[in-house]
Amino acid sequence: MRGHGPRRTGRGVYAALGALVAVAAPLSAQHEMHNMGHMTMEAGWRMPPMDMEMPMLPGLEGAIPVVGPFLPGMGMDPAMFPEARPSEIVRMADGDTLDISVSMVRRTLAGHETVMYGYNGQYPGPLIQAPKDATVVVRVTNEIQMPTTIHWHGVRIENRFDGVPDVTQKAIERGESFTYQVNVPDAGMFWYHPHVREDVQQDLGLFGNLLVESPDPEYYGASNREEIFVLDDILMDERGLLPFGDRAPTHALMGRFGNVFMVNGRTGYRLSAARGEVIRFYLTNVANTRTFNVTFGNARVKLVASDVSRFEREEWVSSVVIAPAERYVVDVRFEEAGEMAITNAVQAVDHFRGTFRPEVDTLATVSVAADPATPDLGAEFATLRTHTEVVRDMDAFRAHFDRAPDHELVATLRVRDLPLPIVQSMEMDTLYVPPMEWNDAMPMMNWLSSAEQVTWILRDPATGAENGDIDWRFRVGDVVKIRIFNDPRSIHPMHHPFHIHGQRFLVTHVDGVPNTNLVWKDTAIIPVGSTVDLLLDVTNPGTWMAHCHIAEHLHSGMMFSFVVEE
Amino acid sequence: MKRLTSSLVGISLLAGPIRAGLSTPPPPERPAPVAEVCSVTAPAYYTFPLVTTRTVPATGRSTGTVEMTFASSPYGVALDPEGNYVYDLHLSLERVRDPGRGVYVAWVTTPEVDEIRRIGPLDDDMRATGRVSWNKFLVVVTLEPSDDPTTAVWSGPIAFRGMSRSGRMHTMAGHGPFEDEKCATYGYSN
Repeated sequence: MRGHGPRRTGRGVYAALGALVAVAAPLSAQHEMHNMGHMTMEAGWRMPPMDMEMPMLPGLEGAIPVVGPFLPGMGMDPAMFPEARPSEIVRMADGDTLDISVSMVRRTLAGHETVMYGYNGQYPGPLIQAPKDATVVVRVTNEIQMPTTIHWHGVRIENRFDGVPDVTQKAIERGESFTYQVNVPDAGMFWYHPHVREDVQQDLGLFGNLLVESPDPEYYGASNREEIFVLDDILMDERGLLPFGDRAPTHALMGRFGNVFMVNGRTGYRLSAARGEVIRFYLTNVANTRTFNVTFGNARVKLVASDVSRFEREEWVSSVVIAPAERYVVDVRFEEAGEMAITNAVQAVDHFRGTFRPEVDTLATVSVAADPATPDLGAEFATLRTHTEVVRDMDAFRAHFDRAPDHELVATLRVRDLPLPIVQSMEMDTLYVPPMEWNDAMPMMNWLSSAEQVTWILRDPATGAENGDIDWRFRVGDVVKIRIFNDPRSIHPMHHPFHIHGQRFLVTHVDGVPNTNLVWKDTAIIPVGSTVDLLLDVTNPGTWMAHCHIAEHLHSGMMFSFVVEE
Repeated sequence: MKRLTSSLVGISLLAGPIRAGLSTPPPPERPAPVAEVCSVTAPAYYTFPLVTTRTVPATGRSTGTVEMTFASSPYGVALDPEGNYVYDLHLSLERVRDPGRGVYVAWVTTPEVDEIRRIGPLDDDMRATGRVSWNKFLVVVTLEPSDDPTTAVWSGPIAFRGMSRSGRMHTMAGHGPFEDEKCATYGYSN
């Protein structure tokens, strides 16, 4: 297992790999392979769960990824490890210190006892609450077999504590510690996670929230209570967790979609509410690749804030579209008694049939009691507030909205040595690619694509430089317009949640259409075929990463770093 | 990347339809709109052509396109609660002669034509803008006897038609590595 920094994945890193030799099976056998999930395949792999109505891709029977399988504690008795416990709240004042140990834990998911990771043995990790402008100290000790770091996602932190191995620090080896000084200049919901093999470490439970509290008691509108909602999914079959790739991720084409949905690390999440209760939900998507479309039944939903600030204006929404690493704050009023499902509702593409089909998965269930909430906040909830402080903050940037971009990026990919049936299927797929991938429509094909065969690319068209070779330099105080085009003409285009470390940005235009309700972001969706304009507020010196936050795309090269000088 | 003209920004369904008296001689062919510098740049990939059906006189040399941008959304992509994309459609026709009578009206319908929504009449520049929340759909422009916003279904001939790019999706059965799978099993006749 290796960590990564942007410079490690430049040209010529990947060794030549022999093509996976696939022997065509008789057509009559195409469906038989679906039942192999329960069997251990060669080298300890198990085939991912598949749509039983879809035929097996001919020529891939018995195929396995070119990388080896990995699971923590593989072959060990899970009882050796302490049982993980739910997240605890840690209130920290300026200067306080928290010790976090990164360790192996035992968890039961979908009926399977399994070995995963935890921060202080918790899932998610401790919810850190700190006042705006505080600096808290977090001493991290690594007790797992992989190196790790902690990245403080969205926090305009001092560069040396940003948690990027080989860029801002050395990865924390097993048995070693690193002390982070986390300064929090912005109010809102942030999160922390490793920046070493996120596809494994984050997927197995290494994530937690950092809630930065504003000194303004009316920063948000009135609510009866607050709920943390960490959205996640994980890939399991009837034997438990599907193994990960050892030296490189599998699922490099589309990322590792899970088939078990979790809220705050739990399946079947439930909460109760009083009739008319206004609940503030802090949503964070920690999934490797899944973008959720979160619906709240017939409850009214008010969108309040996102990654690094509140919106200019609160607005009513019918759902919350949240990509990996994004956060949204919504106030929800449950006006009718009864049971209500919070769902992920998407139109999945069935590439084999050439159709869209609805997929609705329950994330949580809310039991709304008949008794009314006290106090009744109905009147306050009905009002949409304008955040004048946010509007004023953005006013200084509006003159930059319509000017030409300073830098451009094109998102694309290259593949090599993928099995021929996969390449043929991808070529057929180019008849139509959707703006977003909401599901893993081709699980076998996706699973067999490793980061050793797929290179996701951010290319600077001005220089031709790609990924780690991109060399951008800015000064503190610069306002930089970045235009990103997600090229649909590649062999397998996909949307990308694009994340920039250590700074904040505005999404000013999507396909030239001005954004009419702005919010400071650190992560934004770049749909296939779209051109998205970002306005970067350069405030923080150092060497910073920018990358796709689909963990498997990141580890397939889709990252670079830029330098900000004082 | 194809550029839309600034007149397409926003929803503009109320622009005046073409009305011509029977005695009026056909005006000259409309020139293609001049590309203006503007802020809207619809994804070329999802742009689809409007093709003349040649059923209406003076449309034989006409061409058209439908450009798609996401409806305004705080998330960058616009979805409805069921997860369908919500698009703003920007229709434009070129080289259209005045039909002599009637009004060109744009419609959007499902591929099965079991649901139809009226976008509205094309304006003097042969443009219209509407919104759709279907993932696969057809756009048709018909020549209607009048501009009646209460009309739920067209009654005139279809002058132009186009299909969203998603309509190109076809089952993989019968193709490439699945060449021996029968298309009919998956709802396609060939």
